[in-house]
Amino acid sequence: MNTEVEELLRDGMERFTAQVHAPAGLAGGAGRLRRQHWRRLAARAAVACGAAAAIAAGVTVAATGGSGAAQAQTVAYVTKRVENALATEKLVFVGRSDGKMGDYVTWAYGPRSRWEEFSGSKPYWAQGTALIGGKLVGAYVTYFDRRYSLSPLGPQETSACSATDALSMGAPVIPTTHWTAFIDATLACGAASVSGHVWIDGMETTKITGKPITVRLSAGYSKVVKEKFATARWAVYVNPTTYLPVRMDGSTETFGGSAGGFTSSFVTNVRWLLPTRANIAQALVTIPPGFHRFYGPAGDQ
Amino acid sequence: MAQDRAAGELERFLADRADRLMRTAVLLTGSREAGQDLLQTALERLLRHWRRFDGDPEGYLRRTLYNLAADGYRRHGRLQRKLLLLRAAAPPPADPIAEVDLRDALVRLLLQLPPRQRAVLVLRYWEQLSEAETAAVLGWPEGTVKSAASRGLQRLRELADGWRNTEPQLNGERA
Repeated sequence: MNTEVEELLRDGMERFTAQVHAPAGLAGGAGRLRRQHWRRLAARAAVACGAAAAIAAGVTVAATGGSGAAQAQTVAYVTKRVENALATEKLVFVGRSDGKMGDYVTWAYGPRSRWEEFSGSKPYWAQGTALIGGKLVGAYVTYFDRRYSLSPLGPQETSACSATDALSMGAPVIPTTHWTAFIDATLACGAASVSGHVWIDGMETTKITGKPITVRLSAGYSKVVKEKFATARWAVYVNPTTYLPVRMDGSTETFGGSAGGFTSSFVTNVRWLLPTRANIAQALVTIPPGFHRFYGPAGDQ
Repeated sequence: MAQDRAAGELERFLADRADRLMRTAVLLTGSREAGQDLLQTALERLLRHWRRFDGDPEGYLRRTLYNLAADGYRRHGRLQRKLLLLRAAAPPPADPIAEVDLRDALVRLLLQLPPRQRAVLVLRYWEQLSEAETAAVLGWPEGTVKSAASRGLQRLRELADGWRNTEPQLNGERA
């Protein structure tokens, strides 16, 4: 017997359950179950008397509800598992994207994020969140002309289910920092599926592939790029233990016009770092002194 | 009145023992929500007999929890299959975010074992029951318990060795 493994397992189980307490409503829940039990018995008795179709229907509905609750419980199981994995340490997301259109670095931690493009070793422009007067706001900085804009913090995407969200997956901006919920919702709505396992840096990752999406470009944008349609494709490779991404790739292809078609593609390799003060600080856009604020929607120059 | 008294007894019993039972259920299922669901199901079974029940309710609940878990309590189709797909069959990989120590890793690995092996290991190393007592709780022959425990531990050892041999990559650059 390997007593070390047994001891570690015993300690681990103690730790795993140290903060677990029965919910306050358990006894009440037991009471409800007891009453449901008596209602079921009453319903059975009524059906046996041939006089209680309505009650029987009620019982059927209750049974169906149980199945839905079971499914919801399974969803919670999937989500909670990752939350548990991260409960002790929230980690800092660092993604480095190499793409046809440039190189980008993304840092994210909780609601904070910084997505930056470089020109050589110098930052060219950045977008994400900044801390202004102790408050987190959306920020957009163009280093090349020393300007910035601020905006209210927008919501993060919760899935890639809508056409707009799926389209954004074809670009190297990360859509969320709540990866578990994002992946779970995207799989559940059928916008992506588990498509296999891929080895990345010695790890057998689970590949999740998004359903390609094609949209007609808006008239204005179409005129600028001289194309009519865009198709986005994407895949995320997740750690099978934590379900956190270790790599993402995607592409956006424009076609159907006189420009002859163009595809921008990217690969983002992800690392997860400890939430040290320095690492967390990286997940904020900083506005250098002397930069001028401009007003308008983020990205509007 | 008799019903109220019986319910009162049950509530007192739960107030006293529910935390411990809940921890067992969480270990068997891997999450708080699933553990709560499992415990509620076991409680419902107890309640069916509560008014006539004159045995040890904790023992009954424990047996029910373990048997439900060992029978593959997680019975839900599509999402469960998805979950299994996401948990690749491979041993735990070089996990760049794994800052947790081996104890935590072992518990996560425990949750990947088949339900029967997991139930036996929780009984043996969490409840600290002997093989004979474990067999009595599960209603299995002692030999079955012995082999399930042995296979479960062996699997954990293999996974733990894989874990140990993994170079931590946290904060490191990718190759």
